[in-house]
Amino acid sequence: MAISSTPTLLHLLFLLILPSAILSSDPDSSAVSELLHLQSQSKSGLIHLSDHLLRRVLHPSSAPRPFSLLIFFDAPQLHDKTELRLKHLKSEFSLLATSFIQNNPSNPNIFFADIEFKESQSSFGLFGVQALPHIRLVGPEAKDPKSDSIQMDSNDFSNLAESMAQFVESKTGLTVGPIHRPPMLSKTQIGLLVLAFLISLPFLVKRVLSGETLLHDWRIWLSGAVSVYFFSVSGAMHNIIRKMPMFLADREDPSKLVFFYQGSGMQLGAEGFAVGFLYSIVGIMLAFVTHVLVRVRNVTVQRFVMVVVLLVSFWAVKKVVFLDNWKTGYGIHAYWPSRIYWEYDLYAFEDKDPSTSETNLR
Amino acid sequence: MVGKVEAVNGGVKPTTTPASTADLAPPATTRTTAFSFRALKLKTKQQELLIRVTILCLVYVLAFIARLFSVLRYESMIHEFDPYFNYRTTLYLTQKGFYEFWNWFDSESWYPLGRIIGGTLYPGLMVTAALIYWTLRFLRFAVHIREVCVLTAPFFASNTTLVAYFFGKELWDSGAGLVAAALIAICPGYISRSVAGSYDNEAVAIFALLLTFYLFVKAVNKGSLAWALASAFGYFYMVSAWGGYVFIINLIPLYVLVLLITGRYSMRLYVAYNCMYVLGMLLAMQIRFVGFQHVQSGEHMAAMGVFFLMQVFYFLDWVKYLLNDSKLFQAFLRITVTCAVGVGAVALGVGTASGYISPWTGRFYSLLDPTYAKDHIPIIASVSEHQPTAWSSFMFDFHILLFLFPAGLYFCFKRLSDATIFIVMYGLTSMYFAGVMVRLILVATPAVCLISAIAVSATIKNLTQLLRAKNKAAGPGKGATSAKASSKASLDQSLPFQRNGAIALLVGAFYLLSRYSTHCTWVTSEAYSSPSIVLAARGAYGNRVIFDDYREAYFWLRQNTPSDAKVMSWWDYGYQITAMGNRTVIVDNNTWNNTHIATVGRAMSSYEDEAYEIMRSLDVDYVLVVFGGVTGYSSDDINKFLWMVRIGGGVFPVIKEPDYLVNGEYRVDKGAAPKMLNCLM
Repeated sequence: MAISSTPTLLHLLFLLILPSAILSSDPDSSAVSELLHLQSQSKSGLIHLSDHLLRRVLHPSSAPRPFSLLIFFDAPQLHDKTELRLKHLKSEFSLLATSFIQNNPSNPNIFFADIEFKESQSSFGLFGVQALPHIRLVGPEAKDPKSDSIQMDSNDFSNLAESMAQFVESKTGLTVGPIHRPPMLSKTQIGLLVLAFLISLPFLVKRVLSGETLLHDWRIWLSGAVSVYFFSVSGAMHNIIRKMPMFLADREDPSKLVFFYQGSGMQLGAEGFAVGFLYSIVGIMLAFVTHVLVRVRNVTVQRFVMVVVLLVSFWAVKKVVFLDNWKTGYGIHAYWPSRIYWEYDLYAFEDKDPSTSETNLR
Repeated sequence: MVGKVEAVNGGVKPTTTPASTADLAPPATTRTTAFSFRALKLKTKQQELLIRVTILCLVYVLAFIARLFSVLRYESMIHEFDPYFNYRTTLYLTQKGFYEFWNWFDSESWYPLGRIIGGTLYPGLMVTAALIYWTLRFLRFAVHIREVCVLTAPFFASNTTLVAYFFGKELWDSGAGLVAAALIAICPGYISRSVAGSYDNEAVAIFALLLTFYLFVKAVNKGSLAWALASAFGYFYMVSAWGGYVFIINLIPLYVLVLLITGRYSMRLYVAYNCMYVLGMLLAMQIRFVGFQHVQSGEHMAAMGVFFLMQVFYFLDWVKYLLNDSKLFQAFLRITVTCAVGVGAVALGVGTASGYISPWTGRFYSLLDPTYAKDHIPIIASVSEHQPTAWSSFMFDFHILLFLFPAGLYFCFKRLSDATIFIVMYGLTSMYFAGVMVRLILVATPAVCLISAIAVSATIKNLTQLLRAKNKAAGPGKGATSAKASSKASLDQSLPFQRNGAIALLVGAFYLLSRYSTHCTWVTSEAYSSPSIVLAARGAYGNRVIFDDYREAYFWLRQNTPSDAKVMSWWDYGYQITAMGNRTVIVDNNTWNNTHIATVGRAMSSYEDEAYEIMRSLDVDYVLVVFGGVTGYSSDDINKFLWMVRIGGGVFPVIKEPDYLVNGEYRVDKGAAPKMLNCLM
């Protein structure tokens, strides 16, 4: 079992095995060494478990074991279901494994393993796993896999590898250390980009000096300005900071998608962009009319476009006002002397800023 | 055309409703020329002046009275949280005099640390209010200082409309100025911070901000030392009033830099910027809270860099004048610019490395990289007005101005000048910041109003000119000013159609602008006038119910506890307890000491016996918690509790947020997490 490929590992194994081997041929040590071997063979440090292996490793008589086992239950046939995020979670899980091994090279107190549904259905049954995603921690003391192990909460892996690490740290007392994420661009990519930039630099400088780039066209700057405006008013910043999704699935009917969220102070991505578009379109059409349309010679076309533009802008304003009233729940009305208005006024019990009234977070 | 639809309103109103009532925007645009055909021939100019002044006066009054809704609906009192601190210090200032105020060490807040008031606040607001108070006293008006404080914000809002008028006049023409004044007078984004009773720094700061910008643009246009000097003093007032002056000291250099890059460098710019920067900096150093930051902090370094760059430009200009050889000059230019930039970079690097120049603070950084605050500074992320803005808030605060803004941008780009470049930059940067934080909508409001006013004014001008051209068959002598009007004139075959179209557009625009005033009035009276210390709700039968529990609680504290008692509460209530309850507090709304607040957060979220230990160490006698369950008041301490946990956990890792959650959900009923149920709260 302990025949290992790398000398360092052999050395390590030797150290591990030595004390126990003197006493007896302990099943623990053989399990540890086997797991270590498997771990060293996998690229990410994840151990692929099978029914047989799992049974051997977690044999009830072996408790207390010198290690814990964190198992990721996987089913490749569900990988294309995006709402489960299995693939993503698995990559985060292996990231956790790699980071742990990298941070604690000489401390095999916990092993990270994955197990696949098609191969090892009986193990799924053993743990009583009904739904995915499912991550389970089997502590050293665990005898019965189902009752003695701890399931990771959904909010524990909501924040990905970092929160998984927190879970491990709080339940086992081990320190995982920082998560080593691969950089977004690899070093060669960065190098290439820098190189491309350097090469193009002289050409750019020449163009700028001669004054014939796009930068000298005020229309470019205008469109830039309008896009900044669009970015701000569509609440894109809100979406970035809060990491809002583009849309949600309806709770009652998952096949329906919710694009508009009722309640001020919150918004969904698509909603913001739609309204931001409505905000901008009126001004853009004005520019179009005064800049392009007047050059059209045909009067009938001009009139037709004009009427269309008028109707569209009227519709846009109407729509935004309607949406706003719907979203915030305010019924905005004028104060006519005779009008009884308090029937609208169910929201007077608000904080000062209605946009944050929903969660006054101080 | 579309823009036109919204646009016109202001222009039409004067003809339809000459006497503006309180809730309608006084007819801003007033193409006064519209009146001229029935005016006496000789006095057109005078008449125009008269109408303009009248409109301005009406706008001035309107801006003031629109903000009195809160007094009408509730009573004349100070709102919110921070204003109570301002009120307390103003009271102290008027009672004890300026020097006492300047050297005041306040032992009642931040127990046991205390707070040096004079050195940790922006005194502009208090001094302004005290000056008004003393003036009134001198004139034998027996007013209470509270009334002065309550009405300071509306008064300065009125003054802002005047500045907006002059600014609009400087940017475009007097018509745009009038529209801008009318728009800003009732714009909800501004009203939210300047209703009667919201006695906060922003109340005077927006006035100071706009004034500084106006004077600076005027100085750049005129190249006169006097205007530059005035803008330096405007800047001084802004620095003394609000921390938002950092926006000015970064926007103006940015603007100057843009002008330099686009080849718009001129002697006027040189005079304006240098005078404003040097004097403004020296004056700003007189404020103790700001001190030497202008030469020491990273946030102000942009201004200094541009200042030196300006000198390099001037030097180059001089050399160019001396040298006739253009080739020689090119070489010289290259060397100098490289050297200057290199020296600047080295100086900045050395300064930062040696610790002489402090790096950017978290608040500043969180504006540039908005996700920063959420990850690193929970105390900033926790405040409701620091939340990122959703689209509905923009709609709520700007209404149709949002539609007009792109159109205004377009007009500005069509007629680029030094002034319009400035307003475009101001508009875009502030719009971006407004997207990051809800409260910064306030800073964006003047820019949005001005740019929209340009759109309104320009389109109305074109439309009315079209109408008048039809009235007088010969057409007016004035050449058509903008692209639209000239184009209209060029295809002049279908007069009746065009005229009807123009009338229809004017009517549509009138309708839209009247919607705007309706919206503003409603928002002001319903949403922005509540003082948040007295709560109002509608009962089941439409009657108003007033909850005055906060003030009752504070007066209970004042009357029933020993005068040296220390009260622990969450930091929101600190200022109010000291101002109204007159008791010492552990933390208050000035959040300079994160650890101290976190200690309180920890005490609130620990088990009772642990909390008791912590509170003994802080010498606490009373704990104040707010519970709104019975009345359905949503922003009580239970609601804020998660932030206590987060802020506490930020400093003391013993506290973990998941301990208080059930399956990632925050519950306060029977199913709540055990730690949640057993903590002090």
